[in-house]
Amino acid sequence: MTAFAKLAIGQQVQGTPFAVTRETIREFCDGSLDYNPLHLDDDYMKSSFGKTQFGGIIMHGMTNFGLITRMLTDWLYPLGGVHRRLETRWRAPVKPGDTITPSARIVNKRATDAADWVVLEVEVRNQRSEAVATGEAMAEFPRAR
Amino acid sequence: MPFETDFWKDAALRKKWDDIIPGEPRKTLPYVLTLEAIHKYCRAVDAKRSPWKGLIAPLSIHIMLMFACTPVDDWMRSPGTVNAGQSWSYNIPARPGDAITLQARALDKFIKKERLFVVHDNVFFNQHAEVICSGRGWTIRPQ
Repeated sequence: MTAFAKLAIGQQVQGTPFAVTRETIREFCDGSLDYNPLHLDDDYMKSSFGKTQFGGIIMHGMTNFGLITRMLTDWLYPLGGVHRRLETRWRAPVKPGDTITPSARIVNKRATDAADWVVLEVEVRNQRSEAVATGEAMAEFPRAR
Repeated sequence: MPFETDFWKDAALRKKWDDIIPGEPRKTLPYVLTLEAIHKYCRAVDAKRSPWKGLIAPLSIHIMLMFACTPVDDWMRSPGTVNAGQSWSYNIPARPGDAITLQARALDKFIKKERLFVVHDNVFFNQHAEVICSGRGWTIRPQ
């Protein structure tokens, strides 16, 4: 039985908890070249953003993206799968002191002429179990030629 | 030239929501992806494993390439730009030494719940004109 055939709808993929600190946010600035003051400047973040007030710096939303892709590639590669797509929306800001954990759940399996595909719901939750990012991912399981 | 990390410095050069024309290509810059840049990004997301033969960048390296391949007057750098969500499709991995180019544009702009949104549309290529990845993002503009 192939790795794809063994996968079941509802199967969970669990990521690693990530502790967010001012230092990890700064590291992401340096790694991503995104130096938006949203992530650097507490004084700037005391100002109002329309109806939203953050009260201090926030983590880059794309850190969620990076952690989800890392979780999925760590899971897929030993199975022979390839991460092909990720779509996410940010639901709540993440601040220094939060711990966030990505996870995924298989919601669909589909075979096309060329390959086998898995669709997953993905989410990132903080230490209060609040969803800070949600979305959908797709993985390909190439067939042996 | 070192990467400008002060996003306020050239803020006056950047288009505001009123100036952004959906469909108009954004100015982009070629960028040679280095091992050092990959390592720096890997540290930020703690990436470790590589499935492909040889050394590759994490798939989400487009997060960094977006800033590496756009000039200081690009509106993505406007302080206060909030990322509301993104979707990306991955074709082949980027590797150290790849000469990366970007085709990018604002695809749409709209007002929702008093917020100014711009949708951006992007495709990264390597030196062989192969698609590395393509993606779309929803940003909330400060103005």
